[in-house]
Amino acid sequence: MPVNKPFAGRARALDFARARQAWTIARIELRRTFFARRGLWVYALALLPAVIFFGHAVDRKLDIQRLSRRGLTDPILMNGVQNGDTLEAVRARLGAPAQEFSGTQVRRVRKHGADNGTTAHVIEPAVEARFVRLNITRPSYDGDPVARIYEFEIYGPDGRENLAVGRPATGSPPCSPDRGPEKAVNGSVDAGKSDSWCADERPLFLQVDLGTARPVKRFVVKHASAGGEKEDLDTRDFNIQVSTDGKNFTTVAASAGAGFVDQRTEWRQLRYFDGRRIASLEFLDGKLNSRHVGLVVNFEEDRTIFAGIFQYFYLRLAIFFGCLGMFMYLFSGEMSNRTLHYWFLAPAPREVVLAGKFAAGLIASTAIFGVGALLAFTAMIWPHDAVEVQAYWNAGGMAHAFWYATAAVLGCVGYGSVFVAVGLYVRNPIIPAALLLAWEGASGVLPQALQRISILYYLQSLCPVPAPMDDHAPALIRLLAAPAAPASRPAAILGLLLVSALVLWIASRAVRRMEISYGAET
Amino acid sequence: MSLPAVIFNEVSKFYGEVLGVNRVTLNIPPGITSLVGPNGSGKTTLMNLMTGLLHPDHGDILMRGISPRDPEALMRITGYATQYDTAPRWATGFTFITTGLLLFGYGRAEAEEKAWKALERLSLTDAAHRKVAAYSKGMRQRVRLAQAIAHDPALLVLDEPLNGLDPLVRAETIALFRTWANDGKHVIISSHVLQEVDLISDQVVLIANGMIIAEGTIRTVREEIQEHPSQYLVRCRDASGVASRLFSEDHVTEVRLNDDRLGLLVMTRDREQFARALSTIALDGHRIDGVVPADENVDALYEYLIGDE
Repeated sequence: MPVNKPFAGRARALDFARARQAWTIARIELRRTFFARRGLWVYALALLPAVIFFGHAVDRKLDIQRLSRRGLTDPILMNGVQNGDTLEAVRARLGAPAQEFSGTQVRRVRKHGADNGTTAHVIEPAVEARFVRLNITRPSYDGDPVARIYEFEIYGPDGRENLAVGRPATGSPPCSPDRGPEKAVNGSVDAGKSDSWCADERPLFLQVDLGTARPVKRFVVKHASAGGEKEDLDTRDFNIQVSTDGKNFTTVAASAGAGFVDQRTEWRQLRYFDGRRIASLEFLDGKLNSRHVGLVVNFEEDRTIFAGIFQYFYLRLAIFFGCLGMFMYLFSGEMSNRTLHYWFLAPAPREVVLAGKFAAGLIASTAIFGVGALLAFTAMIWPHDAVEVQAYWNAGGMAHAFWYATAAVLGCVGYGSVFVAVGLYVRNPIIPAALLLAWEGASGVLPQALQRISILYYLQSLCPVPAPMDDHAPALIRLLAAPAAPASRPAAILGLLLVSALVLWIASRAVRRMEISYGAET
Repeated sequence: MSLPAVIFNEVSKFYGEVLGVNRVTLNIPPGITSLVGPNGSGKTTLMNLMTGLLHPDHGDILMRGISPRDPEALMRITGYATQYDTAPRWATGFTFITTGLLLFGYGRAEAEEKAWKALERLSLTDAAHRKVAAYSKGMRQRVRLAQAIAHDPALLVLDEPLNGLDPLVRAETIALFRTWANDGKHVIISSHVLQEVDLISDQVVLIANGMIIAEGTIRTVREEIQEHPSQYLVRCRDASGVASRLFSEDHVTEVRLNDDRLGLLVMTRDREQFARALSTIALDGHRIDGVVPADENVDALYEYLIGDE
């Protein structure tokens, strides 16, 4: 409408003048936001992922260099190796490996005998005995403290008849009522555990009363494995004593620590490299025992790790605390420096001062965190095969980079607006930071409507790759970490900008009401 | 047409429970006006209210027709040199003033020219390119003054501007104030010593405990102090009877009855006449239980302000 034109023109000129004022303020504030000595830790936060990925990349690159030094192996030959192939055959086919490790494995194992779990003890000459006692000093090979005897047999000089069978037997208290000493002289070993005597109360002993003194010459002890239990549970150290009166015993036989041999295995690992994959071939005694083929650098895995670091560390912690440091300080820092009044005495609406300061914080934080995110992304891609990277780039990789940068920048917008507003209301950042962190962290479990007023909800919706989540993680952590129902991207951007605008509107009300109070005033 | 004035209408400001200034009503014409009061009396609070750094809890303020709520308009015509002895870490005297001027919308060349002119006026050109943080106290005082005047404001608010100035610069500064005042500008300065400003001020506002106690030209203020009304608290039985008798006396300006009707507060311009009148009333049969001066503090303050006179 022609009537309104002059007024509209003046309003435009005024807007332009205000924008220029805001820009002048922003330019001055940029110096502080970028180079404040107390804000240098923000750079450390922003660059940490880039440094991690860069270190990882250098490590991988050095690995590849080391592996390629002796030339590459044909991938087809590498795939053809089978379990059971001999070391010589593999060397002949594949040539010298990129890396070779070898050694000898020594393992102590029990000697295998024909009479498994049964020991016989002959004494020469035969002695007169009414009481025969089996004393157990080390009841097992693996340290188990329980003595297990399935049968204790006593033979005379003719050796035919087991004198102990059915005789009264006593001993250490049994470990269960159905496994008393009588089970060791019942003439059988075949009915499972309940066919044996067991005891774990020291001294461990088993004593048989033969009724009258008789000549005895040979003893047979049937241990745990004779009854079907583990070999390691067989009795390790024991002795046999005899007595005619039940008081004075004479040791007639002893067994100690027998039954172990060293098992030596020649072990050798050859590693072949075809430029992308490492084949680790493990030979035992000259035969291929196991093979593992894996990528030196796993692009997909690295991208998942990047997604995790970006969402769990970068968005939730780095940008959050970075913006806290940069934006809360915009006003409260100048309040404690006693310089805020210079801005309030400028011929500019308070909102322009807020806009200028916010713009400065935004420029600095988006530059620092946007560059940090892109650097980390680049470092993540760097060690990978050019062809693979090209394929990824064509299949949406560029969009990924774009959305990561966008999420970082919008994170600064969102958290920046929140913290500039908080900084206008409170001076000490610790309590509001803790509350906000809890609120943002809990956004996943909040009802839908409340989720929409958390910054993280929108940022997570923008991330191109869902953050990895360990299936074994506790349910609560899974719930806290995962966004319940991500918004679509346009909705997320719009929602985040709306939330920020709302917060900035609140901030503009606060800054208009704000008064200079540097402490004691007169 | 009336001159543009600085107007306070029943302005109160509290700091929490503590009173900053109470029901201040002022009408300050252009010229040099001094706010005089002891430390803590509310001078800085008044100046912060004038410039919008504080907002009143009650009442309205108009600065040459502009509300302090509108800094965009007010600050264009206002320069405020605060007592806050701070400057940004990065600033030299020159960049400090230039940066401020850029916010007025001046181009860089024009801003630098104006900044230089302001520095010249306060004899700071030698130190212009040194960091403000490295200045002496007097120089920082001057650079804040220079910053306040750089855009040639019509309304200058200067908090204790003569503090820390050596005699020569002080004389020059006072001469500057006079020039501006003669141009029809407002120069509002504060001081806690009346003698410091009484010769140069066109108007004086005396302030104590957040209240205006005298206002006007230095001559009327002096007269007002000398014949300022004294307050007495009179305890008596027939308070309303005594009140009506007292009120007919010329020198009594105000009589207020206590709620218990057993006492009254009397303001008189003449202590001797008041004493005489009271004894006449007593002789006439009214029972007077006691007379106590109610404003000893104010008396002490006047003595402090006018000092050795």
